[in-house]
Amino acid sequence: MFRRVLLVLGVAGAIGAIARLRGKGELPATEGGWRELDGPEFR
Amino acid sequence: MTVALVVGAGEVGTRTARQLVDTPGFSSILLADRDTSRARSVAEALGPSVRAVEYEPGEVIPSDVAVIACALPAGVGHDVVAAAIAAGIPVASSDDEHDALEQLRALDQNARSSGVTVAIGCGLAPGLSDVLAAHAVSLFESVDEIRVARTGWAGPASVDTVRHERRMPVRAWRDGGWREERSRGDALVFFPEPIGGRDCRVVTGATSLLVDAFPSVSRLSVQLGEPPRRTRFRRRFGDEGEWGAARIEVWGQRDGSHGCVAYGVVDRTAIAAGAALAVVSARLAGTLGPVVKQPGVQGLGLLLEPVPFLAELAQRGVRAAVFEGVPVA
Repeated sequence: MFRRVLLVLGVAGAIGAIARLRGKGELPATEGGWRELDGPEFR
Repeated sequence: MTVALVVGAGEVGTRTARQLVDTPGFSSILLADRDTSRARSVAEALGPSVRAVEYEPGEVIPSDVAVIACALPAGVGHDVVAAAIAAGIPVASSDDEHDALEQLRALDQNARSSGVTVAIGCGLAPGLSDVLAAHAVSLFESVDEIRVARTGWAGPASVDTVRHERRMPVRAWRDGGWREERSRGDALVFFPEPIGGRDCRVVTGATSLLVDAFPSVSRLSVQLGEPPRRTRFRRRFGDEGEWGAARIEVWGQRDGSHGCVAYGVVDRTAIAAGAALAVVSARLAGTLGPVVKQPGVQGLGLLLEPVPFLAELAQRGVRAAVFEGVPVA
């Protein structure tokens, strides 16, 4: 019984973590980096 | 020499006063707060050019004041702005709550007829974010969407405002008109490091300031991150405040293709807001370049030239960044 409870809690936690990490897709995930605005952007 | 009145000695007001001390052209800074002992202790800490004064919102503005920076909790600043308009003094406000902004925008006709410039939403977002949006819009031939997201809060009053905004029904600008929307809950927004990905929710917030500045853009939205549950116990005396960030995404056509420019800012929220409020106040007073005089009540996207404002903030350590990479659907 105890193992089943642990298993259920573990699976639920994993599903929750995946759902939270994925978000809802409102804004696209991004690949790349941030560069400080400087030089030409300020002229 | 010029005298500035800073109303509110909280997280943002204190940083605003400190920034004004470092701004050439101001002979003295008057600092007012309903907690007079706090105003006095802040004034003492900031040096001899800052003087604590007793002033309540709605009272007549002291006669020698040339510009007012208002950093009060949501809604309280309305009486200060009304008194400034009556006295013919330019004023900048950091209020960012939707209802309070609408009350200030309702003073637009008074400000125009009195020839007074009123800058509203002068903080990290709204504020700096609107100027960055204007900068990004200038890079496109046509723009169809602007998304502004912010995480971070400048103090307890700011946390209350964020929680209130996130609970309220959403009025969004879609296809060139206002539309009531049900909240779709949180979505992950990527801010510059070290903030990274944070859950944010679409709110009404300062969308109207974006609409004023970019009326031809068909989709405009503002998102706010969720404050932690126990912010009051997280701060210790002497902290520089909570980290915050803003992300500004502009979508449109340029060079014959559809694309996106994303700008971001990361700083202590109160410091960024205080710097923005101080620079706007200095521009209104004419101590940083030519006087900005544009009678009426308006946000920074409509009021300021982006490049000089961003350059001035960068000199003060509040630097924006551009995202270079590819969005992944």
